[in-house]
Amino acid sequence: MAEDVYKPGNLLVSLKRHAAAIATGLRYLLSTKRMTVRYPEFVIDLGEGYRGMIRWHRDRCISCSLCAQICPAAAMKMYKLPGEKKMYPGINYQRCIFCGFCVDVCPVFALEHTPVHDISYEELDEMIYVPTKFDTEWVSPAAKEGARPVKVVFDEEVGLRHEPQ
Amino acid sequence: MAPQPLDKVVEFILSPHIFAPLIYPGLLAAMLVLLTLIWAERKMTAKVQLRYGPLYVLKPLGGIIQLIADAIKFMFQEPILPRKADKWVFVLAPVTMMAFTIIPFAFIPAAPGFVGVDLEYSLPLVLSLSALVPPLILATSWAANNKFTLLGGVREAFMMVAYETSLFIAAFAIATYYGTLSLSKIVEAQTVPGIVLNPIAAAIFFVAMLMTASKLPYDIVEGEQEIVAGPFTEYSGILYMLVMGASYMELYVLSLVFVELFLGGWKPVIPALASIHPAFQGIALFIKAYLVLLFAVFLRSVYARYRLDQALEIGWKKLFPLSLISVVWSLILLVITGGA
Repeated sequence: MAEDVYKPGNLLVSLKRHAAAIATGLRYLLSTKRMTVRYPEFVIDLGEGYRGMIRWHRDRCISCSLCAQICPAAAMKMYKLPGEKKMYPGINYQRCIFCGFCVDVCPVFALEHTPVHDISYEELDEMIYVPTKFDTEWVSPAAKEGARPVKVVFDEEVGLRHEPQ
Repeated sequence: MAPQPLDKVVEFILSPHIFAPLIYPGLLAAMLVLLTLIWAERKMTAKVQLRYGPLYVLKPLGGIIQLIADAIKFMFQEPILPRKADKWVFVLAPVTMMAFTIIPFAFIPAAPGFVGVDLEYSLPLVLSLSALVPPLILATSWAANNKFTLLGGVREAFMMVAYETSLFIAAFAIATYYGTLSLSKIVEAQTVPGIVLNPIAAAIFFVAMLMTASKLPYDIVEGEQEIVAGPFTEYSGILYMLVMGASYMELYVLSLVFVELFLGGWKPVIPALASIHPAFQGIALFIKAYLVLLFAVFLRSVYARYRLDQALEIGWKKLFPLSLISVVWSLILLVITGGA
């Protein structure tokens, strides 16, 4: 549109546009629309297929080491456990890029993604999971403290809406 | 039985030349402005961007003491001195910068007849004191010995000459109409607000005020996404709090001057508040100045940052000629109405 083309030098036109911009800002300031998920109280329900933290099932693992071989970030490594002949995978989350190759390549479904993604660590060493530590269920800290899951809905008015489930 | 020396001390503190710079409208009120204004800025920007902003520090009041938490954090953070920095200048420049933004409070009248030091030339004095801050920003940028601070310093040098002239001329344009350079006399002479008499000067003063305090759309000097934090890149801890606080203090000083020049100052006077302290009957000045500040920081959520060359073009090709026009306008007004 010709009206939207910026013509420098015309003070009155630019004044009008400044006023329009400020009016738009004020309109947003006075509206009650918000898109934020108040995280520790609410969490987005991520559903199936989310590539979060990886869960390893020791009882299914056949020690084929395919996961360690395919890992592009060298995050997955095989560990020898004391008193065991077989080696088992462990993961280093300092390196993991959550590509999911290990989960895809596993022939016996011993590795799977969980929707848990909100873990934080105080020390770098905590991010290394040896097989004994790797074989535990992931728990989201927010969900543990009673965060309510919400679902993301696209909305013409606001943009994003979050509906409690 | 109150001992007499204590009464003397209280009387001394409540006397205008201590009360004005240190308590109201000076340091203490300025700290209150600083703490609530930055919170309000973040809250308003968040609202416009469909967010919540600071919320979890004192949640029932919407996180209003967030800035106190931030201040405590800055206090206990280690102020790092870069090895190659010019240490004396690096440490003393922020302190001096803060001092130059506090000194003007002694000359800004807060209520009828209430001013720390009453001078005939308080308007040029206050403006020139706040004009001493940019050279100190240059000093910090050179002392820190870092490429980002140097780039920020060069930008500050360019900006400084672009806005200061227009700021001074716009202020003098309205002072020409009132025929005095004393802020208290200007407020007394104002029956019609200056913004109605000379809207051009008011607009120029407001825009130059934003440039002085480097608020969006003119935060070219600090330009976060481009040059880290401009001249303040190397600062941390309490020194960073000082340099960051100084720009807000400058904005507060200039908005007080703006209200006194263009928005009728402390009028209407509320005599009932005089029983607390004579300074508080001019509380309208503070409220108006706070509203001006809120509007100034609200613009952050409306505008994007201008490029340096665009800002210089605005400064020299728009503001400067317009400020000269505002002087002519004041003179025409003076001839027609015969002065205030």
